[in-house]
Amino acid sequence: MMAAQDFNFLLATDSYKITHYKQYPPNVSKVYSYFECRRKKGAQFNEVVFFGLQYLLKKYLAGAVVTEEKIQEAKVFYQMHFKQTVFDEEGWRKVLEKYDGRLPIRIKAVPEGKIIPRGNVLFTVENTDPDFFWLTNYIETMLVQMWYPITVATISREFKKILAKHLKATSGSLEGLDAKLHDFGYRGVSSQESAALGGAAHLVNFCSTDTVAGLLMAQRYYGCPMAGFSIPAAEHSTIISWGKSREKDAFECLLDQFPSGPVAVVSDSYDIFKACKHIWGDKLKERVMERSEDSALIIRPDSGDPAQMLLEVIKILEECFGCSLNSVGYKVLPSYLRIIQGDGIDLNSINEILEKLSDEGWSAENMFFGCGSALLQKINRDTLNCAFKCSYVETNGKGMDVYKQPVTDPSKGSKRGRLSLRRNSDGFIETVERGAGKPEEDMLVTVFENGTILQEYTLDEIRKAAQLWEEDVNPSQHNEEDSNTLEIHQKRIMNGVH
Amino acid sequence: MCLVFIKIKSRLKCRRAVRIVWSRALAELFRNATPAEFLTITACSSNVTHYKQYPPNTSKVYSYFECREKKTDPTKLRKVKYDKTVFYGLQYILHRYLKGQVVTREKIQEAKEVYREHFQDDVFNEKGWNYILEKYNGHLPIEIKAVPEGSVIPRGNVLFTVESTDPECYWLTNWVETILVQSWYPITVATNSREQKKILAKYLMETSGSLEGLEYKLHDFGYRGVSSQETAGIGASAHLVNFKGTDTVAGICVIKKYYGTKDPVPGFSVPAAEHSTITAWGKDHEKDAFEHIIKQFPSVPVSIVSDSYDIYNACEKIWGEDLRGLIEMRSADAPLVVRPDSGNPLDTVLKVLEILGKKFPLVENSKGYKVLPPYIRVIQGDGVDINTLQEIVEGMKEHRWSIENIAFGSGGALLQKLTRDLLNCSFKCSYVVTNGLGVNVFKDPVADPNKRSKKGRLSLHRTPSGDFVTLEEGKGDLEEYGEDLLHTVFRNGKIVKTYTFDEVRDNAKLKESELEDLLL
Repeated sequence: MMAAQDFNFLLATDSYKITHYKQYPPNVSKVYSYFECRRKKGAQFNEVVFFGLQYLLKKYLAGAVVTEEKIQEAKVFYQMHFKQTVFDEEGWRKVLEKYDGRLPIRIKAVPEGKIIPRGNVLFTVENTDPDFFWLTNYIETMLVQMWYPITVATISREFKKILAKHLKATSGSLEGLDAKLHDFGYRGVSSQESAALGGAAHLVNFCSTDTVAGLLMAQRYYGCPMAGFSIPAAEHSTIISWGKSREKDAFECLLDQFPSGPVAVVSDSYDIFKACKHIWGDKLKERVMERSEDSALIIRPDSGDPAQMLLEVIKILEECFGCSLNSVGYKVLPSYLRIIQGDGIDLNSINEILEKLSDEGWSAENMFFGCGSALLQKINRDTLNCAFKCSYVETNGKGMDVYKQPVTDPSKGSKRGRLSLRRNSDGFIETVERGAGKPEEDMLVTVFENGTILQEYTLDEIRKAAQLWEEDVNPSQHNEEDSNTLEIHQKRIMNGVH
Repeated sequence: MCLVFIKIKSRLKCRRAVRIVWSRALAELFRNATPAEFLTITACSSNVTHYKQYPPNTSKVYSYFECREKKTDPTKLRKVKYDKTVFYGLQYILHRYLKGQVVTREKIQEAKEVYREHFQDDVFNEKGWNYILEKYNGHLPIEIKAVPEGSVIPRGNVLFTVESTDPECYWLTNWVETILVQSWYPITVATNSREQKKILAKYLMETSGSLEGLEYKLHDFGYRGVSSQETAGIGASAHLVNFKGTDTVAGICVIKKYYGTKDPVPGFSVPAAEHSTITAWGKDHEKDAFEHIIKQFPSVPVSIVSDSYDIYNACEKIWGEDLRGLIEMRSADAPLVVRPDSGNPLDTVLKVLEILGKKFPLVENSKGYKVLPPYIRVIQGDGVDINTLQEIVEGMKEHRWSIENIAFGSGGALLQKLTRDLLNCSFKCSYVVTNGLGVNVFKDPVADPNKRSKKGRLSLHRTPSGDFVTLEEGKGDLEEYGEDLLHTVFRNGKIVKTYTFDEVRDNAKLKESELEDLLL
């Protein structure tokens, strides 16, 4: 698997890193660094889904990433950018000559899809040849972008926990859970590439998406032929283009064009309440009732306060279409009718909505959700405090554990020495520092070495690893004693505490 | 309802043979395709089904893009208002994704297969895309008119319009919505960057009497904190509309490829340390690390991160005493730039300045503010966003420190901590032609007046007093309003107007009147 041909790897780093080969101590022969989602006091999320490294390895790091042409291009570029000669031309030429342009780097990582508590090493990077000590942190910039797929996959899974909790409580089962949160984020993300990567990360937990690029990412880089599904749906332009007085005709056209299979119709172009009451609930009522369970009409509000809006809408629909009680005593609309809320959804609002609905006796079965920017864009590297730090070097043949420990912020302290990840005797995952870990216990797997990808994961495997656990679905059943032990354990892995 | 999706999955397992065939085709598609050829697969899924939903005999769909004005609740005070936006980034999208031949027969077939699996139904508009292939050799029959790139336009005005140019392709206008709406990102980065430039300009002028060095006062540190390589390129280029200092090399590549500049490069950087190049020396050798690095770069500015263990000790003992001689030897063109990187930004900056001010001879400038000697400066590159930037420069001014002493680096806040909602970027249909009749269309949700959209054909004009105004319902056709500021940039697959990055920078520069307003 070859990395992208026209991408110049030498230009894919922070400018200042060009100058670092001159800054390390003389006779340094190894630089060993690691990546973690640092633990922070009072943080909202305690565990992360590890995902996305395979994409970076396949797209950018594997194979021959250095050519003479790229060296020349970089040389000229940096000359102008720094207004002086500082680029390490010789160093890169050595990569070309000694390794045919393949990177003499080893990356060990947690298997993709695994759920790991914050504050643990997720992957390590080191040079495999003493001449290339400078290479480890040259690739930091690119590898730190792992924050993104990790964070999307983690947030998406947090959504899943909330949905699972409510679905279980108000319907007695988790059927249909992985279609409950639809990715609407394509237009609200910063680029096509981010859409693809973020879209794929969401598909670790769910199977419904409108972000088509994510499907292709999952297919090409994670071996899943079709990772997600969608349904025909209206947008405002296909409703308002009929004119204000013909909203009913627009709605009817949708029912006609998509008679079988579900169809989602945005209904707030002018007045969502009137649309539900007079058009869906009256003029087109029979057409709606004709539809089978497999071909439900899914009404989409798209403005106003989400929770309030939904309560009003569902009340109107109850009045017009009636409802029934499910096996756990919650109200469900007739099977030909559902609602999708795709505006203003984030972790807080989705919980609020489901709580308010269940307070009023409504099952979560009635609802689908769409999420755009909160899923794919409204996150950043600080959401999970993702960081890449050097923890070990070898100089003059001697190894030394290194770290930062700023007096101005203890939470920014980094781990020391060579690291490994293991499950301890209490069953908790922990990082062993200072090279003290036993190789046979180490959960980190060598995934990349000297330009070759040594271990791959399919989306199926990743989805399995990232499944929700029992306590995510039934939080009230979680043993109190267990939670105390967990807390103590988590406190022990707070950064900077040695 | 939920059963549907379970059925989908089980049906999928039974169609292995089909799946293998088209999944190979898909792999081919992805492997060999250039970005432009992904058009059939770069729309939102729902866009795929819209051609069936417009009224019968629709022959034109006309849509527009704006950064909606939001009339916020006056009780909710917003610190930064973003009254105007910088229009930038459309040219990248046109070049990269929309121009030239975007479909081939093979791509259409492959897309058809993908969508059949994705929807578990045949909804893809194969006929429509084949028409475009045959009649236009795969070029997009749409016309896009836009405000010149770099223009600074008040919120609530049309920034670009998109319309189909062939009656058969009315559905194409909103097919390209998703990709065009991604222009929210370069617009938002450029706008937020420019607002920070205004803050810096104000305080720099007030505390030093000049704007010298303004363009290097906010350095892009955001490469690692963005969501992808492509985002890094777009975002970094947007910041360079306003500034010249960047470490996000990708941005320069985007500018060179899609805009062009008269200078060899539009952005610059300086040698700088990172924690690993300090900590690799060991805790007891921080001074050796500092000394080594300073000596490696004697004649250019060098920035050295100094908080690995104790920033205050580093400033007082190492910089202030042990290595003071080495620093004092440096010229004004090659200062040592001390970089804190933790703690409360304002507190840390003030304390660092105080310590350095005790160790190095301060001067008072013409405005009466303290300046460190020219061979030593500070850069704050942690926790900098538009709000903390304001706090820091204000705090420095209060303590009588000139902004000449400092530069800033910003990463996540510059390039990632932004969403489409910040400037309410939105793409909406405003006009259609059905049965030969033009109809002004709009949405006006009862639950949110802010979400109301504009009606009819739009144009942008300047009023006699120099303000901007968007005319709706085709009113711009009437001579009395003067020239439409929207120019055709794309028509039927060709880019017909481009802007150089120099023109973009020129359009976006801070105006005299803005500077005057800032200093009032």
